[in-house]
Amino acid sequence: MIELLLCAGIAGYAALRVVLERNTMRKLPFLNVVSFAVAGAIVLIVPHPLAVLAAAAYFVGSTLESNAIASTWAGGGKKDE
Amino acid sequence: MPSELLEIPLAAVVCWVNFVTIDLFFGLPREGGVSGATAIAQEVEAGGGDLKGGTMMGNIVSSPDASAGTLLASCGVAVAGVPGGLFAALLVYIGNRICYDPGYAGTTGAVTATFIVYAFTLAGFSATSFIVGMVVAILTIQGLSHRHASRLLGRLWKWRT
Amino acid sequence: MNELVMAVFGAMLLIGAIGTVRSHDPFDKLISLGVLVAGVMPFLADRGYLDVLAATALIAPLSTIFILMAMRREGHGP
Repeated sequence: MIELLLCAGIAGYAALRVVLERNTMRKLPFLNVVSFAVAGAIVLIVPHPLAVLAAAAYFVGSTLESNAIASTWAGGGKKDE
Repeated sequence: MPSELLEIPLAAVVCWVNFVTIDLFFGLPREGGVSGATAIAQEVEAGGGDLKGGTMMGNIVSSPDASAGTLLASCGVAVAGVPGGLFAALLVYIGNRICYDPGYAGTTGAVTATFIVYAFTLAGFSATSFIVGMVVAILTIQGLSHRHASRLLGRLWKWRT
Repeated sequence: MNELVMAVFGAMLLIGAIGTVRSHDPFDKLISLGVLVAGVMPFLADRGYLDVLAATALIAPLSTIFILMAMRREGHGP
């Protein structure tokens, strides 16, 4: 039970840091910590092989989202200059 | 439960060493894989960090690398033993292909983490403490202080080259 | 899942929602929305809806990518 509690605590802390951070690009590493903690929590809640598949799907989707946001931010900045 | 409280920090140290070693070996701090990783590195440097360490943090954010491999492999070992870990390595490889990455670092990290975690379970550790250990390890890199973490990674990268 | 863990993930939902409403930059809004989606996942896993979880986990980034494509066309750069 302490494992799940630690995962939830880290996810909550990182979520708070995401909202409190002012710089847009420096929010993304905290969002990455949130997705690590949530993917770990999914497997800790449901110890089943399908849960690994679901956690991997969630993790890859979240990474793809961060990748798209960062790339669009970088490309948009260059285009405006 | 004192044994669990001792297991989780030890597992965190093992996961940290595993994924940082493999990321440095595959040269993640050398250059940004996508333009987003470079943008994150520049912002981290603007906040007082190191450019090479920031590039490695940007690469960790924008594609599943050895840290994601370690997390999913320990999840797989916790659920289904060694075959679960190798299945997780396959999932990491597919995820890497979706994110336009060659996928060597993530797959290698997942395979090595599978056997490391399996060896520790034979020694009496529970595999779930490695899941939490990996979450704690990524917290120390990405979640506490970007300035200090990027300087530490930059120093390790300078030491490796 | 005990009550304390549930409270933390519920707080994550609230943090993500408040952050989405209160931030002004569109990129900040999308990142806070990512926190909101992350907060839903453990509740879906707790009820055993793993298929719903995987579908949600794939739908959310795809919709984000479509929003980003629309933003790029409008020229909302930073």
